Amino acid sequence: MWAFLVLTGAAAVSAHLQDLAFDGQKVFRVILQDDEQVEIIQSLASKMQVDFWQPDYVELLKPKMQVDFRVEADKALEVEHLLKENKVEYRVLIDNLQTALDAQFDSKVRSTSHSYEKYNSWENIATWTADIAAQNPSLVSRSVIGETYEGRPLYLLKVGKSGANKKAIFIDCGFHAREWISPAFCQWFVKDAVESYGNDNLVTKLLDSLDFYVLPVLNIDGYVYTWTNDRMWRKTRSKNTGSVCRGTDPNRNFDAGWCTIGASKRACDSTYCGSEPESEKETKALADFIREHLSTIKAYLTIHSYSQLLLFPYSYTYSHPADYDELNSIASAAAKQLASLYNTKYTYGPGAATIYPAAGGSDDWAYDQGIKYSFTFELRDTGSYGFLLPESQIKPTCEETLLAVKYIANYVLEHLY
Amino acid sequence: MTELPPTHSQATRAAALAAAYIRYRHGSPGRGLVLRAVHRARRQDIDGVGHKYHLELVLEDIFGKDSTVNCTAEVLYHLGNKISAPDVQFTIEGELKNTDEADNICYNRIKSLKKELEAENIPDSFGNVSPEMEPIRVLAWVASGYVVWQNSTENTKYQLAQIKHVKQVKRSDEYLEFDYTILLHENVSQEIIPWQMTVLWHPQHGVEVTQNSPQPKHALD
Repeated sequence: MWAFLVLTGAAAVSAHLQDLAFDGQKVFRVILQDDEQVEIIQSLASKMQVDFWQPDYVELLKPKMQVDFRVEADKALEVEHLLKENKVEYRVLIDNLQTALDAQFDSKVRSTSHSYEKYNSWENIATWTADIAAQNPSLVSRSVIGETYEGRPLYLLKVGKSGANKKAIFIDCGFHAREWISPAFCQWFVKDAVESYGNDNLVTKLLDSLDFYVLPVLNIDGYVYTWTNDRMWRKTRSKNTGSVCRGTDPNRNFDAGWCTIGASKRACDSTYCGSEPESEKETKALADFIREHLSTIKAYLTIHSYSQLLLFPYSYTYSHPADYDELNSIASAAAKQLASLYNTKYTYGPGAATIYPAAGGSDDWAYDQGIKYSFTFELRDTGSYGFLLPESQIKPTCEETLLAVKYIANYVLEHLY
Repeated sequence: MTELPPTHSQATRAAALAAAYIRYRHGSPGRGLVLRAVHRARRQDIDGVGHKYHLELVLEDIFGKDSTVNCTAEVLYHLGNKISAPDVQFTIEGELKNTDEADNICYNRIKSLKKELEAENIPDSFGNVSPEMEPIRVLAWVASGYVVWQNSTENTKYQLAQIKHVKQVKRSDEYLEFDYTILLHENVSQEIIPWQMTVLWHPQHGVEVTQNSPQPKHALD
């Protein structure tokens, strides 16, 4: 609270921070594992000036908690030693508070911290993946499955109580850069999982019996580009040989009827299928991971926006997949679940007839790999705001979509193959 | 005459076009009609003329989410390479809510501005629209119905994606005039197309697009 006043009040007082009152001061973030570690921090606070940013008071410290605190410059080294010695997991959140303060007044970027009800920058999402795993070690672990074209790590979260021989459901978000509600959903899904485990019967059952692989953003480079340059960008940001135009449409880049229909062979087009299937580092990483875990992955959900649709194979042909009837009834029931919350109407059906024929989609590819329960979600809305869905709609969109996803997950659990 | 599943893309595209046209004809800053559902769709192939869709639709007003209105529409897409807009006929069942009060309040507020209105990026990247700009956004959305109607084919589905820039044009008469640069999202090709449109509005005379043309992509820089 004190820190909040510093950061906002200072702006009101004066434009120039002439006195370098915070020079060299550090802010630490620690994850307290047990009562012993709580005591270590409490005793530290009794020996020196410790300004708690989160939680507000030392008395609120508990095991499993993430704690942020500020210490004087001349005490920082001592504190770091203490933490290392006692094997307390920590990181330096702010290395020099003065520098951070100065930067905040210069920054044109939205400097807010992570929020489930806001659109988060990639930096915030990346940090969040580390934090959520650190805070919930028995339920969430993070891995890197590859790198984007521009060298960013492709983070994957595995959500579920550890157990032997567990089957899994794969959920990805952020294929298309401008569809910001999509990564918001993946983050919401993980939040709901960790918060509801142990409280909600269905969530507890699902996490005990299944693992959920959640890829919060596949097309990270594109996502970053929508924050820095062009809010309406869709594709990846890879260079295309012989063209000034960048990027491939990741959802036309999979080996499923690749580039035969509904995709473009021109690099400048928004639905460019790429130079070959899995030409993109991002799609190759995803495909490689799924191939490696094929025996355990029983469902594949890919989250997009907008249009309020729940689609299943095929998109690369009008022909019906062998499991058409089953997929259709799952979609029907899931759409009904979704509508039960806020009366949001979803249309469902096979991709080609319901939206348009389009080859190279990840859902078709996953299905043809043998992952029977393969669905594409196109989230809110139907065009009033389109890609620019207001942040106020993040919560209701995620809540209703969760109902459908949980329905599908439960169905999969009851029909394992 | 072929019966189409109401969820079929051919039906939903024709319905989106009909809704855009109806929105243009009946819209105002106080009334934004959006397609809520397609109840029935039939397609008629007329030799030498084109494809005609017979639709039963449900629309709703963004200003009164729970009040829906039923309508029937016929959309005729002409054959061949003639660049001619589809023909749309429609009938609205019952009456639309009167928006005179809301429209007049909006009209008077803009009329009383000391300087011509000018703004960018509505909504912004985060979906925000300030309360003062909301009527300007709805007006653009209504007017874009005209542009969508004029440029649609059986293989396209246009939506207004964003207003990049809007500038009020001073007029000596009672009309309000706005010069918009909008971004249209075409749902099949997934392209974003910048488009210029000049919009006239008066509460008693409705919305009119007097000029419109696609813009080159780099016009945004």
